[in-house]
Amino acid sequence: MSEMVKLTIDGKEVEVPAGELIIKAAQDHGTYIPRFCWHPRMEPVGMCRMCLVEVETPRGRGLVTACTQRVADGVLVDTKSDMVKKAQEGVLEFLLINHPLDCPVCDRGGECPLQDQTLSHGPGESRFVEEKRHFEKPIPISDLVMLDRERCILCARCTRFCDEISGDPLIEFIDRGNYTQVNTFPDEPFASYFSGNTVQICPVGALTATPYRFRARPWDLEAVESTCTMCSVGCRVSVQASQNQVLRLLAVDSEPVSHGWLCDKGRFGYEYLRSPARLAAPLVRGEDGELHEASWGDALATAASGIKDVIDRHGPSAVAGLGGARSTNEEAYAFGKLLRSVIGTGSLDARIGDAIDPVLLATGESRALIGDLETAKTVLVWGPDLKEELPVLYLRVRRAASALGATLIVIHPRSTGLDREATHVVRYRPGEGAALLDRLGKGEGDLAAVRAALDEGPVVAIIGRGGLTEAPGLASAVAAFVAGLPGASILPVARRGNVHGAIDMGVAPGLLPGRVAADQAGRDTLGEAWGTPVPAPGRDADGIIEGLADGSVRALIMLGTDPAADHPHRARATTAITAAEFVVSLDLFVTDSNRGADVILPVEAFSEVEGTVTNIEGRVQKVNRVAPGTGQSRPAVEVLGDLASRLGGSLGGPADALAKEIAEVAPAYREITWDGLAWGEGRDGLVAAAPDGGLPIPEPGELTGPPVAGMALHLGRVLYDAGTMVTAGPSLEKVMATPAAHLHPDDASRLGVTEGIAVTVKSRSGEAVIPAIIDSSLAPGTVYVPFNFGLDIGADPGVEVVPVTGGEP
Amino acid sequence: MTWSPATSERADAIVARYPERRSAVMPLLYLAMREEGRLTDEGMKEVGDRTGITAAQVLAAASFYTMYKREVGRHLVSVCRSISCHLLGSEAVLDAVADETGVPDGETALDGSLSVESVECIGACGGAPAIQVDYEMVEGMTPDSARALVRWLLDESPEVIRSDDLQGRFGGSPSFDPGPVDPVGAIGPFPAFGPYGTAAT
Repeated sequence: MSEMVKLTIDGKEVEVPAGELIIKAAQDHGTYIPRFCWHPRMEPVGMCRMCLVEVETPRGRGLVTACTQRVADGVLVDTKSDMVKKAQEGVLEFLLINHPLDCPVCDRGGECPLQDQTLSHGPGESRFVEEKRHFEKPIPISDLVMLDRERCILCARCTRFCDEISGDPLIEFIDRGNYTQVNTFPDEPFASYFSGNTVQICPVGALTATPYRFRARPWDLEAVESTCTMCSVGCRVSVQASQNQVLRLLAVDSEPVSHGWLCDKGRFGYEYLRSPARLAAPLVRGEDGELHEASWGDALATAASGIKDVIDRHGPSAVAGLGGARSTNEEAYAFGKLLRSVIGTGSLDARIGDAIDPVLLATGESRALIGDLETAKTVLVWGPDLKEELPVLYLRVRRAASALGATLIVIHPRSTGLDREATHVVRYRPGEGAALLDRLGKGEGDLAAVRAALDEGPVVAIIGRGGLTEAPGLASAVAAFVAGLPGASILPVARRGNVHGAIDMGVAPGLLPGRVAADQAGRDTLGEAWGTPVPAPGRDADGIIEGLADGSVRALIMLGTDPAADHPHRARATTAITAAEFVVSLDLFVTDSNRGADVILPVEAFSEVEGTVTNIEGRVQKVNRVAPGTGQSRPAVEVLGDLASRLGGSLGGPADALAKEIAEVAPAYREITWDGLAWGEGRDGLVAAAPDGGLPIPEPGELTGPPVAGMALHLGRVLYDAGTMVTAGPSLEKVMATPAAHLHPDDASRLGVTEGIAVTVKSRSGEAVIPAIIDSSLAPGTVYVPFNFGLDIGADPGVEVVPVTGGEP
Repeated sequence: MTWSPATSERADAIVARYPERRSAVMPLLYLAMREEGRLTDEGMKEVGDRTGITAAQVLAAASFYTMYKREVGRHLVSVCRSISCHLLGSEAVLDAVADETGVPDGETALDGSLSVESVECIGACGGAPAIQVDYEMVEGMTPDSARALVRWLLDESPEVIRSDDLQGRFGGSPSFDPGPVDPVGAIGPFPAFGPYGTAAT
């Protein structure tokens, strides 16, 4: 507990922590001091002068900026004196000198701090009769952000955000002086993954987002608080809709998770919801072999009879379920219950061959929270490039390293977004992670300093799968190593939306709802609660795909999943699904995965259903409904329930009833109720934890395969891949990345490859022709190809890279 | 655009002088100007790469200072317009320069031969009105001597500009303390500040 000091604000004595800024102290005690440049999550600069207050000190009375002055014992602060009022009026008159006052045509009108504070603190008229500054209005500074320099009041919130918070200062004050303006470098757009935050914190209408420009007036928007489900970080958001369409997402500050920020994929990714390609009615495969629209009754009957037919002929274990990682906990729970209790199969998986061991995701051993990064002395990131996969977690780690002084260690096959902030950067060839871990444990050679840093606790280790050719067990081995260090805790991460929640709901063969192992005791307890037996663990995602291919699995139910795009061996997954006898898909779109399905059932998505989701740290948060789904879409919980009843079982009702059931049968979720999760000031969800300490970190299994022949392939993810959520929205589609083969300069010259020429990347599973990029950040002998761009190179560790003859640059 | 080995070496030496790489931005900008005769986008990107900051941050610094020129002729004629020079007729001197060259204040000749600008005090009040050519000073100017100066610049296109040479050819009464004589002279429209590592050797 920090030391407290007493001061007087507007005659009221208050007690605040020493070192607090006056503006913050006043706000915490109910006095709002007007401001433009100050933002609670950024360093104060005192640029806009709007927060002037009168302070009485032993040296006399005077005006100070409340955002730069720290409290001291016995200080008298007056925020409403005549002197303050005159100063604030003066500041606003200055700020408005060049402001165009085009509020009627400005997107910010109605929710504009400049408009609001002019009304409450402004002079009402200006003595400025000269010509205002003129700029071309508005200019695009990226595909997502427009800039109107005439409206800008030069508070530097946007430029400071980029410099301080996101670490990509691509906008700056240019032409400082009378014509100071925010701008980019010529031909270098503001291509930040976090650019939308600058739009949200802009206190005027200078920065506007192209997806929302001129779509609505703020007073026409209906808003609910919810949780972003684009990735598994779980940022708190306000989802705002008008006329049944989601029109924007705003970040809501949450101390434990997001600190008020969002990535652009989360912020602008909602457009897929109203994509014209979205399914509006159930589709059933007809006699002619084509998919036709059908009524819900017919579609459900066809789905149920197809599944029943497979059960009758081949037994329940011939049915398998994939998906749930894009669903709410209630949907995932219903999915698991349908498969295990109603159908009677133990083959189900929310991962699609791309995540780490589900037991590691659900482990109760030495678990860290995101907030532990605030006090960590050392942070280890051995897993994905956080900037590409879990962007807001990247911001939190970046803050730990850049603002809080933690020692950051990044271990990854190539350069990552965090390298600039890292004290130690270790690169390795995919496939050599186990050997590296061994050397790190011993602190050999150049790893001595890294090893020493890991002895400086508290250590927080973020552990995941660095690339898709990496042995999934490596993360378990790293976790076991870190958990053995004094004062260390682990944050095991997988990327996809609610994959952590789906695992917690038991959508994995070895796990039951509530982080319980699917052993005999666990199955008996759950079976008693469900009133049906719970089958023994069946196949995981890879097993299901193998089973489909060899005929031992005959029917597949997919819940919001796209293995043809997301499985590392996408061709293998596609072939397997095609071979399936009967496929039911609950989805928003027709994808490569369900194009051949027998029944496709359109379900409601994010912002259309109420429920809960669980983030990487196990924090359970609410998602809420603000708009209906497209056409005849229905909540997945209802669809699964109807399917269950047609198969002769029951799932237990709508989502709120299932939530109550989850609290009863899932030990880690015992304390978690929708009432307890209601959003509010300082109410940021609840962290699920197994009551008995939970599952231990799993055994890593086989880590070293046969030596890699040829080049080692690193398959990593990028934020804007060719996934449906990017391609189905016009705004993100514009920023979608293009795939390339990244080669170390030594390899490039050995292979005769120059920047930009076409190369063939060939593996046992397939090949792809893509342009080459020379990338000195790779370990020699490695080729990096971004994943999920529809390339058929599989995920075998060893590949061959051959320049295409006559490959044009 | 990559810099010549000599410039590159010089840049490395400058960067090495600072505890933080980004502190070298300003001297490197002079190097970038010297390398290409003016400050180009490529030059600023190069400076950004060498100092570990983004091109936008380099531009933010560069665009504040009028002496980092993105558009400039082979020679730069700066006519002082501050109080002493103004009182002693700098306006007529500027008019004469503009008239003789056909280049108005703040612009560059179409053929790129020279740029004309009026500037605030250049520290030669004792010898007002004063002009700088490529930042080399000449004092005690009149409209006629200014005409002769720019005509000489256009006709002769001298390789090196030296203050004492200018003063001898075109200058009038200099100030009592003209300051140290620059032994090197300017060889381009950018300052040849020795301490910044850009003086010709």
